[in-house]
Amino acid sequence: MSDFFVTYHHLFNVFLIGSGYGLSQWIVMRAGVFSVATAGLASLGAYTAAILTTKLGWPYPLSLLAGTLMGTLGGFLLAVPLARLRGVFQAIATLAFVQVVVAIGLYADSLTGGAVGLNAIPTLVGTKETLLALVVVVYLMSAVNATRLGRAFEAIRQDEAVASSLGVSVTFHQALAFALSGAIAGLFGGLEAFQTYTLFPNTFGFPLIIAALSYVVLGGRRSVTGPIIGTAILLILPEISRPLADYRNALYGLILMLVIAYMPRGIYDTAVLYLRRRRLAASSSQEARQ
Amino acid sequence: MSALVIENLSKHFGGVAAVSGVSMEAPPGRVTGLIGPNGAGKTTLINLITGVLTVSDGRIHFGGQDITQVSAHLVARSGVARTFQNIRLLAEASVIDNVMIGFYRNEKTSTLASLLGLPSARRETAALRSRANALLERFGMSQYANHEAGGLAYGHQRRVEMMRALASEPRLILLDEPVAGMNDVEAGELGEIFRGLARSGMSVLLIEHNIRFVTNICEYIYVLDSGRMIASGTPEQIVNDPAVITAYLGS
Repeated sequence: MSDFFVTYHHLFNVFLIGSGYGLSQWIVMRAGVFSVATAGLASLGAYTAAILTTKLGWPYPLSLLAGTLMGTLGGFLLAVPLARLRGVFQAIATLAFVQVVVAIGLYADSLTGGAVGLNAIPTLVGTKETLLALVVVVYLMSAVNATRLGRAFEAIRQDEAVASSLGVSVTFHQALAFALSGAIAGLFGGLEAFQTYTLFPNTFGFPLIIAALSYVVLGGRRSVTGPIIGTAILLILPEISRPLADYRNALYGLILMLVIAYMPRGIYDTAVLYLRRRRLAASSSQEARQ
Repeated sequence: MSALVIENLSKHFGGVAAVSGVSMEAPPGRVTGLIGPNGAGKTTLINLITGVLTVSDGRIHFGGQDITQVSAHLVARSGVARTFQNIRLLAEASVIDNVMIGFYRNEKTSTLASLLGLPSARRETAALRSRANALLERFGMSQYANHEAGGLAYGHQRRVEMMRALASEPRLILLDEPVAGMNDVEAGELGEIFRGLARSGMSVLLIEHNIRFVTNICEYIYVLDSGRMIASGTPEQIVNDPAVITAYLGS
């Protein structure tokens, strides 16, 4: 068991960070926003935290906080011009945002190190801190889901006209979702920075967009558990399918296609729905017999 | 004070006048009818009142306040609820969750309390759940509480939409063809519910093109045709009005 943990320790850390990005992606989609900004917001948090500690000598908790705030601010500012866009237009606009962040990372090399990377970031956080951060975020997101905000998000996601006819402000809630997404992405970006030694602008580019989106689509969009399960499956899969390593991307694509085609709500949400339907069917057939 | 007063309201889509120069009133305690043939502008009028569409000209007052330019969610918060002509439920959510979102307008939980999952936020959610259960019971829908709203029969979906609107405890309720597709018995039952709402002091505005139903339920009726108000009065006056007969049966 301890051998297992040593071998997979690094993988576990990657899973924790990935889950954070997954939840950042999840919370905007929860409010009906098709944003892919998570990668760019994570970049803001990662570079903010790393630069403050390496260049200004800030203690790492303060740098993480600053990274989180930077992500929040980025998300909020992004929400303002995006309030008028919907669906695929939001996706394109946020994709452009991510590209802009990557480009700034490459060109502002006096600050970010450019394509060579920002080097010699001290390794200051480990599994414990990352796990703690994930637990806090999971708690907050579960709280959102279980109370007033969750109901408002769900109404907006399913039908904006209905939501506003009941007094729910679409603009406010989508801006809030963006800010929360930015906070989570910024925090986990900072945590990644303090675990990786080097940051490259392209770490937060297209592959991360696809990864974060896949975690949510695969795992599920409604419950908090969904994106975490999606992350676990997509990160562990390459490990257990080592013999198929050459076909790893093909396998990825195949699984995603199958899930989208047969479980459009994602693995976890589909399972929950299936169990609930079975329970309802059982209870109504019981009533019929009585 | 919570009367709806519309003055000289117009809405143009490009060169087309969907509603022109319409004035009407829906006072509390009365079921007010709004009828007219298809395409008369009835739903456009509702969308203007609720702030979904922007007004081209004229004024809308509600409860003594000018709500002409107020955005949709704020109109709803001031106490205007509606149902939709083509039922609009949160199809993936359960029946009880559909009703619970109706309480949103009067919820006390702050954004921060909800985010932090404070006990007060969870208590309010629990309280709303039991109020939603009470509503379900009143409408005879308890056994469907955990069913997905999208999978319900048509008549049941109508009831869910009605419960959702009532959950917001509105001062004005706009019902857009609420008995479409129902038989006379079902329609009659709903009609009784509407009259009960009016008796409790609510303003009820009923949009229909079924004249028989409207004349049975409403105390006062407005008739819209091609965006213009062609008649108004008691049910007896309306059914005998030559302009109304022409609009419905052709000259």
